[in-house]
Amino acid sequence: MEMRAAPGARGEAWSRRVLAMTLIVAAGFVCLVGQLWYLQVLEGARFREMSEKNRIRVRPVAAPRGILYDRHGLALVDNRPAFTVSLIPRDIEDRNSVLARLSILLKVPIAELQEMLARVPEDSLRPVRVRRDLSLEDVARVEEWKLELPGVVVEVEPQRVYPTTTFAAHLLGYVREVSEEQMKQGRYRRGDMIGQVGLERLLDEYLRGRDGGERIEVDALGRPVQVMQREEPRPGAQVVTTVDRRIQEAAERAMAGRSGSVVVMDPRSGDILAMTSSPAFGLDRFAGSLDREAWLTLVKDPAHPLLNRALQSQYAPGSLFKIVVAAAGLQEGSLTPMDRTYCTGQFRLGAWTFKDWMTGGHGHMDLRSALVQSCNVFFYQAGLKVGPDAIARYARAFGLGAPSGIELGGEKPGFVPSPALRRSQGKPWHGGDTVNMSIGQGQVLVTPLQVARMMAAVANGGILWKPRLIQRVERADGTLAYSESSRMTGQVDLSPLVWAFLRDALRGVVSEGTGRGARLPGIEVAGKTGTAQTIANSDSARGQDHAWFASFAPADDPQVVVVVLVERGGKGGQVAAPIAREIYRAIFLEKVAMASTGTDS
Amino acid sequence: MIFRIDRRLLQNVDWALLAAAGVIVALSVLSLWGLAWGGGSGIALRQLGWVGVGLGALVVVASLDYRTLVRAAPALYVAGLGLLVTVFILGRTVSGARRWIHVGPLTVQPSELFKLIFVLTLAWALTSRWARPLSRATLAWTVGLAAVPFLLIVRQPDLGTALVLLPVLAAVLVGVGLRLKVLAALGLGAVAATPLAWLALKAYQRERLLVYLDPFRDPLGTAYNVIQAKIAIGSGQLLGKGVSGATQSRLAFLPERHTDFIFAVFAEMWGFVGCLVLLLAYGLLVLRGFEIAAGAREPRGRLVALGVTVLFATQMLINLGMVTGLLPVVGIPLPLMSYGGSSMVVSLMGLGLLLSVRMRQFQ
Repeated sequence: MEMRAAPGARGEAWSRRVLAMTLIVAAGFVCLVGQLWYLQVLEGARFREMSEKNRIRVRPVAAPRGILYDRHGLALVDNRPAFTVSLIPRDIEDRNSVLARLSILLKVPIAELQEMLARVPEDSLRPVRVRRDLSLEDVARVEEWKLELPGVVVEVEPQRVYPTTTFAAHLLGYVREVSEEQMKQGRYRRGDMIGQVGLERLLDEYLRGRDGGERIEVDALGRPVQVMQREEPRPGAQVVTTVDRRIQEAAERAMAGRSGSVVVMDPRSGDILAMTSSPAFGLDRFAGSLDREAWLTLVKDPAHPLLNRALQSQYAPGSLFKIVVAAAGLQEGSLTPMDRTYCTGQFRLGAWTFKDWMTGGHGHMDLRSALVQSCNVFFYQAGLKVGPDAIARYARAFGLGAPSGIELGGEKPGFVPSPALRRSQGKPWHGGDTVNMSIGQGQVLVTPLQVARMMAAVANGGILWKPRLIQRVERADGTLAYSESSRMTGQVDLSPLVWAFLRDALRGVVSEGTGRGARLPGIEVAGKTGTAQTIANSDSARGQDHAWFASFAPADDPQVVVVVLVERGGKGGQVAAPIAREIYRAIFLEKVAMASTGTDS
Repeated sequence: MIFRIDRRLLQNVDWALLAAAGVIVALSVLSLWGLAWGGGSGIALRQLGWVGVGLGALVVVASLDYRTLVRAAPALYVAGLGLLVTVFILGRTVSGARRWIHVGPLTVQPSELFKLIFVLTLAWALTSRWARPLSRATLAWTVGLAAVPFLLIVRQPDLGTALVLLPVLAAVLVGVGLRLKVLAALGLGAVAATPLAWLALKAYQRERLLVYLDPFRDPLGTAYNVIQAKIAIGSGQLLGKGVSGATQSRLAFLPERHTDFIFAVFAEMWGFVGCLVLLLAYGLLVLRGFEIAAGAREPRGRLVALGVTVLFATQMLINLGMVTGLLPVVGIPLPLMSYGGSSMVVSLMGLGLLLSVRMRQFQ
């Protein structure tokens, strides 16, 4: 090559460097010509043949989704093989007749099939899934007509399977085909199954795994002749949760037919052992192609089955809140265990009269008996003595009015009113507000999960845990992808004497007070009932209050916290406490059984 | 002064370079027309329109003194960065990447335009009066200037375009006399820094990069393109199947056939012989570019010519390498061949720069 080198040493060096680069590029050219020679001349005939009958198809092989386990290694959800019918747009010769035939065979409206195909290019080779989880009869019918249905393929794919259809529905969440909206994020492919709520959504990245694929040669009718190359799918990671399947089942059984929520927590670690929300929805209904109407029915259901009541609904705590008032008063010194009052059944403040739930009153009351009998009049006075600021401060210390930090989406923070907050809104705080607040009415709002966290703090002496749902995530090859240990997110500072007093009073609630419905042989339960008055929308709904029972057991060595909320169920002691008893019976099965046989003999 | 084109300048126009480019552009329009054979020829006509715009840009750039452009490099650099940032704000997302911005009815790809600004910036940074070539400070400053747009383009993500910038940087640094040892050390440093960049990416972005490097991670996507491109090229055999016989391309088995994979279309239609003609034209173009660089007597001209030539050669080699299955698939167009306004206009402007250097060689 001709080089017009500039005179002088620097010019020569420059020319040399440019020449070297020219040679590097020339070497690249030589490689290219070599590759073209190989492809077009040496292998040309083979490629020519392949192009003449371009029969190479690529078929996805879905990765099995990761399995969710409970704390003892029992599966909460599993996979099973299911049949999927897909269309390969390019292979469909006569679109109208194939769709019409398929529509009759599968009993799917033809418009729905057309709509699915309209979303992808006409010459796409990528299968479009039209129906998942086919029955064997449907598969047989499609296979029978196979020759008349070019472009229709039936494949086996892993599909979620649940112990029972509504088991831990809100906690686990469901898996559903990626929506148009989610497609826009650019990280999913059409037809991907992704977790939509609950743990399935939270852990989707881990659970999904990676789809594999097959390159197959097909004949003129699109039937596979041979697999040319196969990339194995990589299964999703396995998740070990903190849930105890036995307790979850017991809690759901105990809540059958009720609307509300149960949260079971380990006060020693913050582990969520069970979390229910009812009414629930059928998880398996989402896995196949849920038709539009069924989905709308679910969304528009006035009972809101999709709502996770354990953390997405807020309720007045009712008398549960007396625990906070008592703790605040004792610690601040404005209340003592010796304070006495005579309950006549009503309490006057200015022009207003506040009633006790027991007409006629409870008679002589001290702090312990007022907690045990849930005397409102005593707490009206106590609340005024403690003051709304202190009550609000202690309520927040117990984790009320703020999200608990659980990773499940949509958690509600609840609400703790205070004079300062009210003033900032430009409204006055009245004495009546304090009176209402001291029995957990008025503006106070909590979620069942917050109550569980608060009761755990009472049980363990003040530690507020971040609720833990996931212990660890293990990849398919056994390596650890993620793990979480218990994390303390706050502490309630009360003197040991105050804790002891509270625990003793709560024990009294079950042994001799309003919570007797939760009494069990062989296991001592401590707890507090609550009845949250609701604003009646109509006369028929009047008087249907939310029933609460928040408890822990065994009272002297707390291992579990059980919180029960029954929406519009009535009185906490009559409705919620017996449900908690059934859950304890399942948790402490052996102890209860031993104690029962012991008393019999 | 700026637009002065006297006879002396016109005598030095590199006609061989222009002829080679003309052949390539003609083959591009022919291939696009062949793809649409029997249907409309809208895409070929539009490409022709872009060639017209590009030629205008080429004449303007060639008539400008490249030294003026190098002096203007800092301003161009800032404006270019502005455009790259705009992509993140106003950009249109196409298959998960933000690379384009709308200007009226057109979509512009700022990363394309930035390639030339990149070359000018390097020439400026290494030759300005106070930059003593090869001092550590100059080196660090130059690499820093290069890193900012590089990272912005990676984030789009447009890995292909970003990767093209690296050989240009390396070539220009070697050109000013950087020892290969130092270059190797810089390269190692960059490799050592990759894990940091890796941590900054989201999981699905990582996945996308991994698919770039290993197409079989995504057996339905890029691996499919590669095998179909190989079939298209191979089936062209020695003499090609002609326009009507190029079923592989025309029946749309080949994805991205107008843009990144256009060489496969060409190879199927015109066979090994046609490919040799095309490669010869590219070879001549690159050779002229290197000769212009070697013949330039003044540092700015040398660096501009070298940078543009290496930019051109790299894009061509990477694109042809990926289409023929030698390299992993990174989406970059084949300069002067692929359909696309930004790429065509910028490629022709690059040639304009080369011409500008060549024309002023003896001044």
